[in-house]
Amino acid sequence: MKELHLAFVDWEQTSTLSVLLTICSYCKVLCSDIFPSFTMIESDSEVIKPEMMKSYVWLQTTDGSIQEVEQEIATFCPLICQEMHSGLGTSKSYPISLPTRVNPAMLSLIIDYCRFHQVPGHSNKERKVFDEKFIRMDTNRLCELTSAADCLQLKPLVDLTSRALARMIEGKTPEEIREIFHLPDDLTEEEKLEPLKNTMDDPRIRLLNRLYARKRKELKEKERLKNAQNEEEIVDDRPLDDLLSFINGGNGDPKGPVASKSKKKNRKKKDQQKSAHEDCNPSNNLSSYNAIDNDKKGTNGHDPSCTNNKLHGRSLPILRQSNLQDTRDLSFTSEYELDDGDLDDEIDPAMKEIDREVEDFARRLNSDWPERMQEILRLGQERHPTPISMNRNGALRIHASTAFSYPSFCFFLLLSVI
Amino acid sequence: MDHDSRLDIFSDLPHSIIETILTKLPLRDAVRTSVLSSRWRYEWTTITQLVFDDKCVPPSDDRASFENCLMNFIFRVLFLHDGPIHKFTLISQFLQSCPDIDQWLLFLSRRDIKELVLQLADDEWFRAPSCLYSCHKLTRLELVRCELEPPLKFKGFLNLKNLTLQQVVISQNDIEHLISSCPLLESLTLSYFDGLELTIRAPNLKFLILEGEFKEICLENTPLLMAISVAMYMTDDIAEHFEQSLSCNFDKFLGGVQRLQRLSGHIYFTKYLSIGSGRGSTPIVFHNLKCIDLYQISFEDIKEVLVLLRLVVNSPNLEELQVSGTSITSPATESYDPDFYENQFPADCKFKHLRTVKITDVTGMPLEMAFIKLLLGHSPALEVITITPSVYVADGKLNMLVSLLRFRRASSLAELIFIQEPL
Repeated sequence: MKELHLAFVDWEQTSTLSVLLTICSYCKVLCSDIFPSFTMIESDSEVIKPEMMKSYVWLQTTDGSIQEVEQEIATFCPLICQEMHSGLGTSKSYPISLPTRVNPAMLSLIIDYCRFHQVPGHSNKERKVFDEKFIRMDTNRLCELTSAADCLQLKPLVDLTSRALARMIEGKTPEEIREIFHLPDDLTEEEKLEPLKNTMDDPRIRLLNRLYARKRKELKEKERLKNAQNEEEIVDDRPLDDLLSFINGGNGDPKGPVASKSKKKNRKKKDQQKSAHEDCNPSNNLSSYNAIDNDKKGTNGHDPSCTNNKLHGRSLPILRQSNLQDTRDLSFTSEYELDDGDLDDEIDPAMKEIDREVEDFARRLNSDWPERMQEILRLGQERHPTPISMNRNGALRIHASTAFSYPSFCFFLLLSVI
Repeated sequence: MDHDSRLDIFSDLPHSIIETILTKLPLRDAVRTSVLSSRWRYEWTTITQLVFDDKCVPPSDDRASFENCLMNFIFRVLFLHDGPIHKFTLISQFLQSCPDIDQWLLFLSRRDIKELVLQLADDEWFRAPSCLYSCHKLTRLELVRCELEPPLKFKGFLNLKNLTLQQVVISQNDIEHLISSCPLLESLTLSYFDGLELTIRAPNLKFLILEGEFKEICLENTPLLMAISVAMYMTDDIAEHFEQSLSCNFDKFLGGVQRLQRLSGHIYFTKYLSIGSGRGSTPIVFHNLKCIDLYQISFEDIKEVLVLLRLVVNSPNLEELQVSGTSITSPATESYDPDFYENQFPADCKFKHLRTVKITDVTGMPLEMAFIKLLLGHSPALEVITITPSVYVADGKLNMLVSLLRFRRASSLAELIFIQEPL
C-alpha cells in the first residue's frame, strides 16, 4: 500500500487511535514516518541484554558488607575513581575499602545521587529539583552525608549539603541553632558577651539590655529583701554596688540628660571593672549610694505585697522616688561625653510604655523577649538564659545569676504567694 | 540545657566543611556562631572569605551612624580574624571613601589576598593606595569608582586573571600598561570609560567586555579571545573622530581573533565597525564563531549592513544569530537596490549550521526584509526563526507577515515564529 486516505476520522474516540496503529503496524514504511518511536516499543525486550555487559565495582564499608555498584555510577566519586586506577574493586575479593565515615546508609544515598547526576541528559532545572528533594532529611543525617561525601571527594554533593546546612543556620538565634544541631551550651555568660560586641554594637540592643537589667535589678532587690534574714554572703559588694547605683542612675528618669549621664557612668564603671578585676574604686565612689539604698530597702521592706504587686508594671515609681534623691549625685558624670544621647528620648518612665518598647524592639530583633520576661517575673521559675546573649553590663549579669540560683526557692515561694 | 553529646556530630565535621558552611552564610551570621558553643567560638575566625555589605549591620536612618557602625564592624572582624584572607568583598551604598579603607587594604596586602572587590558609595571616588599594587597574589580585582595611578615601577599583577574596572579614572598609558603587564589575564571588563583609545595586548585573554565611549579599540595581541561583548556609546567628539578616521576599524578590531566563538555588539558597535575603508587584503574567516548578537543595527546605513553581512558570511560555523534594528524609521534616504544582497553575497554560500535566528525590532525596511529573505533562503539547517516587530510599527504588521510567509525556506524544519505582542 502506498497511499492511505482516511476521511472523517473521529479523533475523540480512543479506539480510533488503536485502529490506526493496527493498520500502521502492518505497513512498516508508513509506520516509521508517522510514529518513529513505534519500532522501539517492540524491541523492549532486547534492551535488557546490554545491561549484562556493564561492569561493576565492588565497594566495602567498614562494617564489612560489600556492595556492587555500576561502574559508571561509582566513578562519579573521585576517590573511587582513584582507587580503581590503582587496580582495586574489580572483583568481590578485592573490593575498594571505603573510609570509616561512609556507612552503608550514606553509601546508598550517595549512590542514588550519583545515579541521577551522572546521566548527562537531565536539564539543570531537573537537577535542581532533584537536589532540593534529596537534601530533605534531618540534620544529623545531613551532617553524616556531608562527612561521607567529603571523604569520597564528591565536591558537588559537599556543596549541596553545606548550602543546606548553612540555610539552617542563617537568620536563627543561637538558641534555635543549638536546638537544631544539639550543640552544648557550654560557654559561660562572660565568654558569650566578650567578642560579640563587634556585631551587636547597636543602640537599640543596648537600650534593651538596660531595660532588662533594670527589671532584673528590681527582682534582685525583692529577693534580697526576702532574704534579709538569711545572712547570706551573696556576692562581693563591688558589683552589687554597681547594680544599685545602676538602679538609681539608670532608671527611666523623665529628665533625658540625666539618664544619659547614668549610661555613661555605667559604662565607665564597666570599663573600670574590666581593666582591673579587683577594682575597688567603684565601690568607694558609690558607698554613698549604698547608704541611700539601704534606706530604700528598708522602706521597701515594709511593703512586700505592694512591691510584689507592682512587679510587672509599676515597681519603677518606687525606685524613682529614691532616684530623685540621687540626682544630685549624678552630676559628677557630666564630665563624661555623651555619645548616644539620641536614645534618651526613647526612655519612658512609665513601665507600661517601656514594656511596649521592649516588645517593639523584641519584635524587631525577632526574639521572644516579652514572653521570657513575663515568664521570669510572673512564674518565678529558674533563671532562663537570656535570648540576647550580649549585654554590656557583663559583670552585673554574672552576679545576678549566682544570686538567683541560691535563694531561688525562697523567691519561688514568695511569688507563689501573690 | 541537658542534651546528649553524642548527638552533636555537627561540630565534629572536618574543619574544611565547617569553613565551607560558614562561607555560605552572610558574614554577620557566621560571626554570630561564636556564641553557639565552646567549639564554635573561633571557628569563624579562620574563614578565608570575607564579604561585607550593607546588611552586616542593622539598618538605621542616620547615615553617619550607619557608616560608623559598618566601619567598626569591619575593623573588628579584621582584627579578630586569624589566618590568610583570600577573598575580600566590600560593596556598600553608604560607606564613603576614607583613610581607614587604605589601612584595610594594607592589612589585606599582608594576608595573601587573592580576590578583591571594592565598591563604595557614589559620593567621592576612592583613590587606591600604593599598597594595592603590592598585592602580588591577586587573581581577581574588581574596582568601582576608583582612581588608579600605578607607580612607575609597578610591574603588574603577575597572577591576575580577572580584571573588572567600572567608572575608574586611569590614564590611557596606565591602563594599557596594566593590561599588558598581567600575563595571565583571561577576563577583562571595562565599563564606562570616557574617550579611550585602547590597544589591548593580552596574550591569554579569553573574555572581553567593553562598555563606554571609546574612540578606538585595537586588539593587537589577543589570539585566544573567545567571547567579546562591546557596547559603544557615541558622543559628538567620537562621531567627529569617526569621520576623520582612516583606518579600518573592522580589521583592527576583529583582525586577530581567529578563535572567537561569541560576538555581541550593542548600540553603536556596528557603526563603529563600519568606519574605515573596505576590506583588507585577505578576508578574515571566523571558523569558531558560533553566536553573533548585534543590536541596534541601522538598516538604513548600507555600511552597517555590509558589516553585518561580512560577519555572517565569514562565519561558516555560525549557529545562532540575533539581530535587532534601531526601530527608528525615517523615509528611505537611499534608494533601495533590489539586487543589493545578490551583489554582495556569494551565490553558493550557505549557512550550513545556522539553527536559531532571532530578529527583533523589525520595522519592515526593505534591506531588513531582504536580509531575512536571504537568511531563510540560505540556511538549510534552520530550526527556528523568531521575528518580533518593532513597537512603532502599528499597521504594517500584517504586510510584514505576508511578505515573510512568501519567502522561500531552505530548511524544511524551519519554524517561523512571529511575536505579535512583544513583551
